[in-house]
Amino acid sequence: MSLNDKLKDLRKNGINEAKRAERLQELNDLRVNLLGKKGPITKALRGMKDVPAEERPEIGTLANNVKKDIQLAIEEKMDELNQQMIAKKLEDEKIDVTLPAQSRTIGTRHILKQTIEDIEEFFIGLGYRVDAGHEVEEDHYNFERLNIPKDHPARDMQDTFYLTDELLMRTQTSAQEGRDMESHDFSKGPLKVVSPGVVYRRDDDDATHSHQFHQIEGLVVDKNVSMADLKGTLEALCRHVFGPNREIRFRPSYFPFTEPSVEVDISCFNCNGEGCRICKYTGWIEVLGAGLTHPNVLEMSGIDSTVYSGIAFGLGPERFAMLKYGITDIRDFYLNDVRFLEQFKGVN
Amino acid sequence: MKISLNWLKEYIPVTHTVEEIANKVSLTGIESSPVTLGQGLDKLVVGHITSIKSHPDSDHLNICTVDVGEDEDIQIVCGAPNVADGQYVIVARHGAHLPEGKRIKHGKIRGIESNGMICGLDEIGVPEKYVPEAFQNGIYVFPEAEKTGSNALELLGLTDEMVDLDITPNRADTLGMHGAAWEIGATYDEKPDIKKAELDDSKVKELSDITAEVKDDKLVPDFLLRELKDITVGESPLWMQRRLWNQNIQPVNNVIDATNYVMIEYGQPIQAYDLDKLQENKLVVRNAKSGEKFTLEDDTEKSLSHNDLVVASGAQILGIAGVAGGIEARVTADTKNVLLESAVFDGASVRKSAQRHDLRGDASNRYEKGVDNGSVSEALERAVQLVDQTGSVSVISQEIVGSRTEAKPTVITGSIKHINHLMGLDLSSYKIMKIIDQLGFEAKLDGDAVTVTIPTRRWDMAIEADLIEEVIRIYGYDNLKGTLPSGMETSGGYSPKREFSNKLSNSLLSQGLDEVINFALLSKNEVKDFNIKETNLTKLLHPMTEDHEYLRTSLIPGLVNNVAYNQARNNNDVAIFEQARIFDRQQGEDRPAEVEYISGAVSGNIANDSWNTTKKAVDFYDVKGIVEELLSFTNAKSHFEYVATDEITNLHPGQSAFITADGQRVGYIGKLHPSYQSEHNVDDTFVFELNIDELFELNKRKVQSQSAPKYPSVSRDLAILVDKDVESGQIVNDIFTNGGKYLIDANIFDLYQGSHVKPGHKSLGYHLVFQNPNDTLTDETVEQAFDVIKESLVQKFNVEIR
Ligand SMILES: [Zn+2]
Repeated sequence: MSLNDKLKDLRKNGINEAKRAERLQELNDLRVNLLGKKGPITKALRGMKDVPAEERPEIGTLANNVKKDIQLAIEEKMDELNQQMIAKKLEDEKIDVTLPAQSRTIGTRHILKQTIEDIEEFFIGLGYRVDAGHEVEEDHYNFERLNIPKDHPARDMQDTFYLTDELLMRTQTSAQEGRDMESHDFSKGPLKVVSPGVVYRRDDDDATHSHQFHQIEGLVVDKNVSMADLKGTLEALCRHVFGPNREIRFRPSYFPFTEPSVEVDISCFNCNGEGCRICKYTGWIEVLGAGLTHPNVLEMSGIDSTVYSGIAFGLGPERFAMLKYGITDIRDFYLNDVRFLEQFKGVN
Repeated sequence: MKISLNWLKEYIPVTHTVEEIANKVSLTGIESSPVTLGQGLDKLVVGHITSIKSHPDSDHLNICTVDVGEDEDIQIVCGAPNVADGQYVIVARHGAHLPEGKRIKHGKIRGIESNGMICGLDEIGVPEKYVPEAFQNGIYVFPEAEKTGSNALELLGLTDEMVDLDITPNRADTLGMHGAAWEIGATYDEKPDIKKAELDDSKVKELSDITAEVKDDKLVPDFLLRELKDITVGESPLWMQRRLWNQNIQPVNNVIDATNYVMIEYGQPIQAYDLDKLQENKLVVRNAKSGEKFTLEDDTEKSLSHNDLVVASGAQILGIAGVAGGIEARVTADTKNVLLESAVFDGASVRKSAQRHDLRGDASNRYEKGVDNGSVSEALERAVQLVDQTGSVSVISQEIVGSRTEAKPTVITGSIKHINHLMGLDLSSYKIMKIIDQLGFEAKLDGDAVTVTIPTRRWDMAIEADLIEEVIRIYGYDNLKGTLPSGMETSGGYSPKREFSNKLSNSLLSQGLDEVINFALLSKNEVKDFNIKETNLTKLLHPMTEDHEYLRTSLIPGLVNNVAYNQARNNNDVAIFEQARIFDRQQGEDRPAEVEYISGAVSGNIANDSWNTTKKAVDFYDVKGIVEELLSFTNAKSHFEYVATDEITNLHPGQSAFITADGQRVGYIGKLHPSYQSEHNVDDTFVFELNIDELFELNKRKVQSQSAPKYPSVSRDLAILVDKDVESGQIVNDIFTNGGKYLIDANIFDLYQGSHVKPGHKSLGYHLVFQNPNDTLTDETVEQAFDVIKESLVQKFNVEIR
């Protein structure tokens, strides 16, 4: 057999052996055996001396090509085996992704706190301070400074828990109005404040009443505030809370500490005003009370009512949340069943 | 009050449906809803009983032949005791629909054909208590002949459409038809045509047999009487009766009915007395004597308070002023001479008396909210006129005056500019004057100044702001375009303490605790359970129930209730917190301080059995971890420590600790005492409570950034054997005290107590980490520090280094 044929034979066998290999080790062995210094190609090339000089370059080139080809075959096979190994490993590591997770639970903010914060943040954006006030308050601030003297019939509307003749559990967050007004320095700009917090009434607890509930009072006092400002502010609030398509309307009402006073309705978010059970088929839902601060209330805080005016509004976070989430029993807020609490995760 | 459109038509044109009117009145003045009587009722006609005979098979049934306006009379079997020949009655024809789905069909009653039913008022929609007494247990009989076959419901006012005004306390002016007509008229730009009461002048005489005296005319600014002689007491005409029962007032007789009718017309309560039953010829309005007895018309006796204002004749109490009439001088069928009273009583006094004796009614309701003192006298004339019309009076006295206060209209001055300014509108003075006129107020304009004279019927109005409300509501709030306040920019935000407290709440939320909100009013037991600071309890003067009697001194009782509530419902794993106030009252103070707390409770498992985990019940160290993470958010420079305590009664004495910041108590942590747990039906529960106000004061750390260390750290493990009562905290403190400036960490990695160590001892393993931020540490430096640590531990705690 000529050297030429010998080399071609070695190439054929080498490539075949590489292709037949099943393990990486076999290929490594093959490389050492075939292409190493003691391998058959090196050995075969020792017969070069018998080849005529003019043919030698050709044989040399052939020998190099044979080495390259075998090398290539080994590498290809190695790649193939590597791919197979990875595929097998991936297959072996396959898991059931439907099995339950290792839970990483974050707690749920109470829905009332979420509702309150959402409203607070809305007003902070409009430049309002948040001032929580006192839960135990003087009769003076809770009533008298709000134009509700001792014998005023409006005191019947809100039966009060008294601690002493002069101290009580505040019945309304409006109690903070007097304190906010008397302490404000109007030379530094308008008074803009919301007062959120807990209030108390002498009520029996049932599905729609609770002796403890929350309110948010809002108050702006400046030289140029008007009923139109009140409407615009509440329009923006109601759209923020109940959706961008809400309309609001004012109806005349009565509160001793505002004049004029209004009840504020929003167009029903459930039926868009068509009429449904939620809006009692009127298309409108009453959501809060508001008005222009009564001149007496301004004057009692030392504010000149011929120069300054105020807008004030009071809303109930319980009512807002009940409307928004279809909660039908106010007691649910205070029973704290974790199944009730946790359904409000991430709503605000 | 329900405003009948049929009645309203006497004053203003009514051109809209009851629904439209109710809606418009709601938007411009007073919350209203439409009411239509008699809906769904039909085939109720007037019948005339032309003959009557007894049922052969019954001793109480009668067979009536009834003319119902058709060619042939019909036969009806009737069991009412008051049925009689010749009566005009209500007949429900075959197929008639009655209230509550009741249907009338012809049939046989004990073998006799009956083609309908003769009805009582209560069977066709008048509540029984408003049915005249004579017809309460039988059929209704029309007082006069009516056209047979005509619609009985209509004749009885039971198809009336009404606007039900749900007034706010300031609008009591609409508690009379006249006021309501002004109000509804203003919204439709119609001025009501209200006729003045007129007396038959020929009957009016100066009599001097009765006098009136008012002890305190501040409480009784107006007290007017008129005598009516030789009256005939009888049934009122149907037109009056039907208006009364539609107002939920029972017709009684022409005198009583006239007083009630005038109250509905004018909003002015009128009282009637039988002149001949008075003890003395004098009426006195005075305060009752404490304990004085008074008997109501229904014969119940009241013991009076000296704060009750009464109308008396000698020792005889005729009534509680403005609240209730009595039995003594009641007008009955035999009454011949009558005294009518029209008065104004102090609202607060009436309100308190009505509350005191639980006698709130139509009259007291009006006095409480106010009445028009400009129409006291006219209302009295109107009552006299009505009694005269129905009871043919012979003599009417002049007004007998106990007190009288001149009714002065209020004058409000305002500025067109200011009014527009506060409304946020730019109405012309013409438009504003037009609205003021629509309301029936007289006004003068002088440049920008407007002077409005408010009639006494609108006693709620006093200042310019009231006028603004009138203008804007009649103009229509719907026409007002919303704007935002345009003053100087302000920067809003939370107070620093609120920001701080939100941060602490967020740290608990992020550790998986749900937030709860509990009641601040607790029972006496609850409020004592975790009164750790032993503050003075704050109690309500008049609690509703024993469950909510005291202001809380801790948030833990509420949280324990929540755990119990959840575990009773198989929500066994509970991790909750509350951020709220407790009330801390100092001795000698009335007012408690309101202190912000944040407290939590964890019960059940913190990990559950699953395909790849095993369950783990919560323990002290889990909750301590929660608290530590929370404290790391306080931005405090302070050193927090856990000081074991057995002082907290309702906590486990071996598993509770005060939490201190540089030695100052800021809260506590621990397991609930086993007996407290079983009392409250909760599983093993760990709680913590922290004082936010105190933590906030520690919130002083200024962070100065440092680069992350670039040199490697070196660690050493330390294993020691020590007496079992030595706390790990003491060891760690000592390690830090002696570890030198390069010691940055000392973690416990092993704790063993048991058969493999000396009795009464435990083995502890600590992993110490040393680092020099500016250089590589040499072994020598570390070894030196390590030796100092070991030496100190041996000396102080007699430890054995292992
Ligand atoms: Zn709706």
